[in-house]
Amino acid sequence: SIQAHKEEDNPQTTMEVNGLTPVPDSYDYDLIVIGGGSGGLAAAKEAAKYEKKVMVLDFVTPTPQGSSWGLGGTCVNVGCIPKKLMHQAALLGQALQDSRKFGWQFTEEVKHNWMTMTESVQNYIGSLNWGYRVALRDKKVTYENAYGEFVGPHTIKATNKKGVEKLYTAERFIIATGERPRYLGIPGDKEYCISSDDLFSLPYCPGRTLVVGASYVALECAGFLAGLGLDVTVMVRSILLRGFDQDMANRIGEYMKEHGVNFIREFVPVKIEQVEEGTPGKLKVTAKSTTGDQIIEGEYNTVLLAIGRDPCTRKIGLDKVGVNINERTGKIPVNDEEQTNVPYIYAIGDILQGKLELTPVAIQAGRLLVQRLYAGASAKCDYVNVPTTVFTPLEYGACGYSEETAVEKFGEENIEVYHSHFWPLEWTVPSRDNNKCYAKIICNIQDNERVIGFHVLGPNAGEVTQGFAAAIKCGLTKEQLDSTVGIHPVCAEV
Amino acid sequence: MGWEEVQVHGYPEFVRTAQSYHGRPVFALFCGDKDAEGRSWCPDCVTAEPVVRKELHNLPDDSVFIYCLVGDRAYWKDPNNEFRRNLKLTGVPTLLKYGTPQKLVEEECVKAELVRMLFTED
Repeated sequence: SIQAHKEEDNPQTTMEVNGLTPVPDSYDYDLIVIGGGSGGLAAAKEAAKYEKKVMVLDFVTPTPQGSSWGLGGTCVNVGCIPKKLMHQAALLGQALQDSRKFGWQFTEEVKHNWMTMTESVQNYIGSLNWGYRVALRDKKVTYENAYGEFVGPHTIKATNKKGVEKLYTAERFIIATGERPRYLGIPGDKEYCISSDDLFSLPYCPGRTLVVGASYVALECAGFLAGLGLDVTVMVRSILLRGFDQDMANRIGEYMKEHGVNFIREFVPVKIEQVEEGTPGKLKVTAKSTTGDQIIEGEYNTVLLAIGRDPCTRKIGLDKVGVNINERTGKIPVNDEEQTNVPYIYAIGDILQGKLELTPVAIQAGRLLVQRLYAGASAKCDYVNVPTTVFTPLEYGACGYSEETAVEKFGEENIEVYHSHFWPLEWTVPSRDNNKCYAKIICNIQDNERVIGFHVLGPNAGEVTQGFAAAIKCGLTKEQLDSTVGIHPVCAEV
Repeated sequence: MGWEEVQVHGYPEFVRTAQSYHGRPVFALFCGDKDAEGRSWCPDCVTAEPVVRKELHNLPDDSVFIYCLVGDRAYWKDPNNEFRRNLKLTGVPTLLKYGTPQKLVEEECVKAELVRMLFTED
């Protein structure tokens, strides 16, 4: 049953709007944040600094397989953090192989235990979930593990997992509900397939795995699963890493292919059937070619869907308060101050239309928004030249324009691309590939050869890219880059 | 049913006791040893203990609260002592829910709100 909060207690006049829930003049909270992920928590903690009365609502609707997780959002629970840890697990496997050439002697076969890794990763995530709860409680931010949805102006309904509903009002709202993995919409997909939401807490080794998709999620997962010794196949509908520099994307794909990942290109699954139950069981996948009538079948222990993510904006009552969303994608358009078309409702993070889906971007947007709201600041979130890294087996770091976007925007004759292969010193002794690591910068000839795109493919790409992102923000030119003395012997000196 | 308290001294006794209650929620407060007058060498522990004790009535039914004295100051300062090495404790006082990553460390233990959260929430 619904408990109305404070409305009877409030003797002040309230405004009836279209016969909906009356809007009280004094609200329960200054700010309610819907979604306790990277963006939501950053915004809530920042608002608490300015002594605002803040509430955070976070709720995870379990996956079709029943997976769920604690406070912290995608990044902490089923994204960046476990991904990077498992990527590291795979890299360590490679390092063990390399170590023999450097003189380490061990006679045992080196094997990987999925459960040991998963338990350690989940334990760490648990400590992060707890840490966030302590931080919120300590800063007097009210946190409820409840599903929030708008029911009327300035009013949301919060439903906890026992079904108990409560109403809360606030002067302002920040929507930070993030996204969830998309399913294929074919027979057997929800019953038998898993997604990244399930993978990082899977209580059994996935075994022979088919990864459907060509996003960075698909390639990163395929990459570390193969690195742990599993038999992995990636089924790609068309191109790899849409939106990324395609030359780099193809190099990543080639490297993965040469290092044990199978690719099935230009096919999409049409049916998933269970052959055998088990943990893992056996699944039969039927797939159709995108270029003809050819049908193929394959058997796998696990099918991991990584075909995209959809914003959680369709079932949170946005229509009740008139917030516009892009009907096709579910994304929310905002102005450059993260404000929706409803002045007291803001949105940050992955759900924004036309913005990058990255944790640091959400955090930055959340913090700056709150500073503008409560601390008189005016700085807006800078979405330009945001660096990113894809943690495929051969890591890829980038900042700025891809080559194709630069050509499109400035014209081929106005850009100059400088590039180089490099062979990491650490790869020489164990005889690893000498022509795979690669770096390129894209310069704008008309603007002093300003560096407008930076791309590097090699170990520790993320670490390498971060510094260059700062340089690009300062307006790095080719000449300045040339006159910077390199550190030797490191990959970054290229 | 309610909850019960057990007092232990030192690492081996702690582990034995915690494991004997397997299946029940176990909470533990680690403090520095007390002298003849009952005062701990650890000043934060002196402040935290009454705060924690005041919240004990919030413990879930069937819980066990282990009050563990870790040792003298010299023992604690040794970076290789068993509490640091095996339980990954980084400071005293530490209040934790055994078998989970949920814990409160040092000044967090003197905040009643946080202690209550540890005892009552999942």
